[in-house]
Amino acid sequence: MPDPSTTHGPTPSPTAPARALRLGVCGPVGTGKSSLIALLCRELSERLELGVVTNDIYTDEDARFLRSAGVLDADRIRAVETGACPHTAIRDDITANAMAIEELEEDYEHRLEMVLVESGGDNLTATFSPALVDVQVFVLDVAGGGDVARKGGPGIERADLLVVNKTDLGPFVGVDVPRMVADATAARGDRPVIGLSRTDRDSIDRLLAWVDNRLAEHRAGSLVPVDPGPMAAHSHAHEHTHTHDQGGEPVGVHHH
Amino acid sequence: MTGPVHADLVLMLLADARLPVAGHTQSGGLEPGIRDGLGPQDVPAYVDVRLRTVTEVEAATAVLAGRLLRTGAPDAAWLDLEQAWEARTPSPALRDASRRQARALLRIARRTWPAAPAWEALAALEHPSRALALGALAGHLGLEGRAVAHLVGYDDVQTVCAAALKLLPLDPGSVVGWVVAALPAVEAMATRVSSVAEVDDLPATTHPLIEVWAQAHAATTRRLFHA
Repeated sequence: MPDPSTTHGPTPSPTAPARALRLGVCGPVGTGKSSLIALLCRELSERLELGVVTNDIYTDEDARFLRSAGVLDADRIRAVETGACPHTAIRDDITANAMAIEELEEDYEHRLEMVLVESGGDNLTATFSPALVDVQVFVLDVAGGGDVARKGGPGIERADLLVVNKTDLGPFVGVDVPRMVADATAARGDRPVIGLSRTDRDSIDRLLAWVDNRLAEHRAGSLVPVDPGPMAAHSHAHEHTHTHDQGGEPVGVHHH
Repeated sequence: MTGPVHADLVLMLLADARLPVAGHTQSGGLEPGIRDGLGPQDVPAYVDVRLRTVTEVEAATAVLAGRLLRTGAPDAAWLDLEQAWEARTPSPALRDASRRQARALLRIARRTWPAAPAWEALAALEHPSRALALGALAGHLGLEGRAVAHLVGYDDVQTVCAAALKLLPLDPGSVVGWVVAALPAVEAMATRVSSVAEVDDLPATTHPLIEVWAQAHAATTRRLFHA
């Protein structure tokens, strides 16, 4: 008999069978997605049952990086081929990733508490389908240029968390890190931004606190996946008075 | 589906690359073939040889699965058919790729048609092949044998040709020409398999190089496609 719980995507219903929190990490190539996942594994694997699904464009490159980092048992790190379509694999056909997550959960007898899903790296419009992950982190890095946060886009504006990575590199690449974080914050309304560096313990602790809070919400059944969508923020001056994409005002999900 | 629907519409649905069954992860063995030296000029011949070997077996098996469903065959018949397919698919990597594709298909099909008797029929098998899963689904949705064979053949041609566009320096317009040029071979293959009525009628054509490539690909790193 078909079992809806195995065929549907993430469901926030508190009556759903317990399953791992699915946390997506996406963002442009080279911003430090794999390093962020390695960091989370290193910090959390002592106290949480973790699994990782990677989508490197060359299938197993990221998986091999994570396995060689020794932060997690190699069998808990699964690589998924995307046929050079990393965007498709997290958005319009999530099948391969969803199957990899389900297989990890089955192989570990549903003891996993969190599965990290790493996107293959794509452009600024790529975000996870809410059917694949419960919560998503968009990663930028200081070395990619101080103006990227100002460019906006769904991940930057509306991912559950924006990480501005490699803040320690600011002086070497001529980027004003506080300015970049402030730009990112302005683009996101109330949504959080963390300027992260593996040499900055305080930033790591803030990241872990954010993850722990999402996990607590997931366990309580109160975490509802929010879709950043692919659309740019828009203006519609003919409607009522808000002017959310002008003058540095927060732009983001808005309700009409 | 609550109103009458022509089989053409069902066929289009199942043949559409937008159906979320992870089709974008498959190259029909083209990626390892290119690693072993195939070039752009070889793709049409590669498509053709598949239609006369591995794809013909896949299509014939799917046609028979559809027939088993329509005739309400017992579990033993499904097991026989799966074993016959296994015997004709000697590469473990190809069998694994087929079963992963079946899992992807069944994932969405069970959700979309939860009450289909096809699922009870397939329950005799722990990990059905794609040929059985697709044949059973197509049979449930009312596709006749020839349509099932068209589906398998056309999908194989498009899978290889779409992967070729990713892997080789090609003009998409030229590749459409290859697909069109392959259609008579799809039709001929469908003619050969559409009347398959029992396991002993199944063709046993395979291609050792496709198997060797599949085995090598499963062991390689830096893959773009699963198979």
